[in-house]
Amino acid sequence: MSLRQKLLLLVSLTVAAAVAAVAWTVLVRIRSVFELRDQEETALFVSQFQREFQHRSAEVAQTVEHVAASDRARTMAFELSQSGDASPYLNEAQIMAQDARLDFLEIVAADGTVISSSQWPARFGYPEPAAAMKRDATFLKREELPDGNTALGLFALRSIGDTGPGIRLLGGRRLDQTFVADLPVAPGMTVGLYGEKVAASGNDIRAANPPASLADFDPKRLVGVNGELPGAQKYQALIDAARKTGQQKSAIVYLTAQREDSVNVTAIPLANDSGEVLAVLSVAISRSGMVAAQQHIRAIAYSVASIGILLGIAFSLWITARVSHPVEELARAAEQVAGGDWDARVPQRGHDEIGMLARSFNHMTSELKSQRERLVQSERVAAWRELARRLAHELKNPLFPLQLTVENLVRARALPAAEFDEVFQESTKTLEMEIANLKTIIGRFSDFSKMPKPELEKLDARDLVERVRSLYEPAANGLQLKFLVDLSSEPMPLLIDPELVHRALSNLVLNAMDAMPDGGTITLSAYPRGAHVEIRVADTGAGLTPEECERLFTPYYTTKQHGTGLGLAIVQSVVADHSGAIAVESRVGGGAEFIITLPKAEA
Amino acid sequence: MLRRIAISCLFAALPLSAAARTRPHYGGTLRVEIAGDAWQKGGLARRLVFDGLTKFATGGAVQPALAIEWQSENNNHRWQFRLRPSVHFQDGSPLTTTDVVTSLRASCAANCPWASVHALAYSVVFTSDSPMPNLPQLLAEDEFLITGRVAAEGNASHGPVGTGAFQVSGFSNGVLALAASDTCWEGRPFVDAVEIRVHREVRDQWLDLSMGRADLVEVPAEEMRIAQQQRLNVVSLPDAELLALEAGESGAWSNQNLRSAIALSIDRAALANVIFQKQGQAAGSLLPQSLSGYAFLFSAERELNRAHELRGGLSAPPLTLAAEGAGAMQLAAQRIALNLREAGFNVQVTGSPNADLKLRALPILGNAPAPALEVLLRAAGQPQTVSADNPAALYKTERDILERETLIPLLHLPRAWASSARVRDLKLRADDSPDLADASLEVAP
Repeated sequence: MSLRQKLLLLVSLTVAAAVAAVAWTVLVRIRSVFELRDQEETALFVSQFQREFQHRSAEVAQTVEHVAASDRARTMAFELSQSGDASPYLNEAQIMAQDARLDFLEIVAADGTVISSSQWPARFGYPEPAAAMKRDATFLKREELPDGNTALGLFALRSIGDTGPGIRLLGGRRLDQTFVADLPVAPGMTVGLYGEKVAASGNDIRAANPPASLADFDPKRLVGVNGELPGAQKYQALIDAARKTGQQKSAIVYLTAQREDSVNVTAIPLANDSGEVLAVLSVAISRSGMVAAQQHIRAIAYSVASIGILLGIAFSLWITARVSHPVEELARAAEQVAGGDWDARVPQRGHDEIGMLARSFNHMTSELKSQRERLVQSERVAAWRELARRLAHELKNPLFPLQLTVENLVRARALPAAEFDEVFQESTKTLEMEIANLKTIIGRFSDFSKMPKPELEKLDARDLVERVRSLYEPAANGLQLKFLVDLSSEPMPLLIDPELVHRALSNLVLNAMDAMPDGGTITLSAYPRGAHVEIRVADTGAGLTPEECERLFTPYYTTKQHGTGLGLAIVQSVVADHSGAIAVESRVGGGAEFIITLPKAEA
Repeated sequence: MLRRIAISCLFAALPLSAAARTRPHYGGTLRVEIAGDAWQKGGLARRLVFDGLTKFATGGAVQPALAIEWQSENNNHRWQFRLRPSVHFQDGSPLTTTDVVTSLRASCAANCPWASVHALAYSVVFTSDSPMPNLPQLLAEDEFLITGRVAAEGNASHGPVGTGAFQVSGFSNGVLALAASDTCWEGRPFVDAVEIRVHREVRDQWLDLSMGRADLVEVPAEEMRIAQQQRLNVVSLPDAELLALEAGESGAWSNQNLRSAIALSIDRAALANVIFQKQGQAAGSLLPQSLSGYAFLFSAERELNRAHELRGGLSAPPLTLAAEGAGAMQLAAQRIALNLREAGFNVQVTGSPNADLKLRALPILGNAPAPALEVLLRAAGQPQTVSADNPAALYKTERDILERETLIPLLHLPRAWASSARVRDLKLRADDSPDLADASLEVAP
């Protein structure tokens, strides 16, 4: 990752984190404010709803009182007191309930037995325990019905007439889906009623049989205006809490995974006089409006934050460009210098640290260039001197015999012709030999100056090594040299000029043989190293000093008595022509190892 | 002298004018309203359009109808009914013994009182392996009315064809129109037509009666007291039907103690006094006291403690109870369910026809106890030949039946009709249907 990218990333992350932190803080605050407001609104709605519920209770009481005070009821009470025959009034409660729009109405005699019942006409003559208590307020009661079910109702008990305990009316309205539907609800409000399931009472039809333990929550028993409340199962925890504690409970209920499908629910337990919870009224207020507003604000916040982050990134780009550009120029210049372009320069801007660095870099490169030029000059002189020395040395050896031979010939002119002829014959042979020797020397120099272009072929390194081994192993055996070959079992394809590389390897093997006049071991090995193949030629000779290792591939440098110093230079040239590299590892007395690295060809 | 003659003439004319006022008039349309269907079993239209081989007279005695005489042979194993000659169906075709046999075979495919029925010249012969002592009374039942051949193709709209006093003339807007049959073997009825409005609520019937839109309406037993309070013209037949509870004998109810516990749990007095407004009699027997003379020997008291003892802690399976009909019958079923719950039974009132207990109103027909009992048992789906020829034997027979506790008598109830002031000479037949053939309408002044 470049400096610019790092800077960009750093600045961008900083900006994004800052914007996100601000946005998060704002959103959390907004959410808490909305939640608070929602709770206040819910409490208000629930309070209104409870007032309406109490109002309905009062209505029930008024209605029953109105029926009890009606002429019909008074006449009936009078006639009953006169005749004592209740049978004609079997259907009276139904008629009165129908007129007064009451769901439940029972006419109860002074002895507490039912004279007439609208909800269960067949129950005449049976006692009504609820009529035994004197009470003015409305109360909740679970009423058994002929079909075996029970219904929950708001009841009121009133006497007919003003004279003591006589005939009474026990009337009420059913707390059910219709009652819930009748209640005024605010937009977004859903009212549900959970009625406790009660087992059929069996023998004692009038006994109040409170459940011994709380029955399992049955979602089908939670009804709203349109029947079973959607997502009723989600209300279970809240309703169970209200059922168990008998206290009003509130919570947010998530109907689906979507937040907007959540409701703020208040569960209001409805209990009878003995505190038994008979039903739970659930008032659910949709949070969709609040959630939608929150989401709207969140969307705006996200948009602003996104724009802020984008602007921050753009600004970061500009800043990082300004900061990193001079550094990148410096890096590029340094790369150029590393690549050999000593003329690389960086623009000098400003007087800050970057500008100072640029000036120092330019000064450094100019100094390096001048030093390099001086070094090249000196090396060139040294090379020429070495070349001259080598040429002088190489040419001196054949020239001396030539000079002696020519001087012999000059001296031989004074000899008789026969002797002169003999001397002449010998001298001309010597001259031809030495001239041939000179030609050989000149040929070698010529070869070094004219290396052929490689003709590439695909060849496995193992074949290459085997070929060298098969060529030199017989000769090596005669010199008390041991040949070891260590090859990888994997294919090691190379794209090389087989002859040139063979010659290079041969040269290394010959050098190794020369380095072990008293015998030793030559090891040839080849192993793949990633995308390259590494070929090693090692000997167990005297080894090389570090200085020798440094100069070993310099042309005309040799450690041999009669070497031209071109062998390893040629090897290096061949390896370089194959995009490879050669190195030597050695220590004095520990042998030397030449390592050729060549790129692996595609299989 | 002239004054004496004039006064004498005036006194002589008084009986004549009274006779003229009481003499039935021909003509007019009698409008009847009923809650049920006119063609259902026991329906009014069936009694007006069809005849049986025999019929119940107003007093309950069996008298000839399409058969003019009958005789039994071989100790009541063979009965021969001679057909009335020159009787025609309302479509003009003559009534033959083949028609009678075909009709009887069609109406009684199984559990017939007889083993075979066939025509023999002008007679219809019934035979059976067991004696049929009450066959003439049984043949007066609604079930064995003789219906005519199926109307020919294209004339299906004419409706059912019989030999009765009235023939079907049309049906529209819930009103079945019947026209007087001029060729009826009993003679032409006084009214020209009868219109029967079906499926009419009782309260609506009464409203129509009070508004002059109906001449004859039903009065259920529980409404008789109100009808009397409202001074309606009510004709009633006491002890016309038995309210009884049918209980199965299989499965969990094979234990007779449970069935007895049920019988003892029911508060018949509350049913009679409150639900049926004191118009019925609590019954411990199948036949009423007026018919058998021994009904008082069967207790109709509620014995809840005894019921608990009989149940003995046995946990009876949940019971279902269904009642035929609506109104008071359903209320009675609910009351019975309450009574049974007190006795420890878990009972639920249902509308299912496959209920464990069925509350039914069974007809009590005729003035002879043995045939009436056989007809009642047959209606209850427990056909049994009752051949007792004296009260002691009949008592034993009935006691044996009741001890099985599969038919628990509850109440004997009356049947009644209310008529408008313009209806004259209305009587109820022993099968509690109004005898409209002999009724007439006052001519408007």
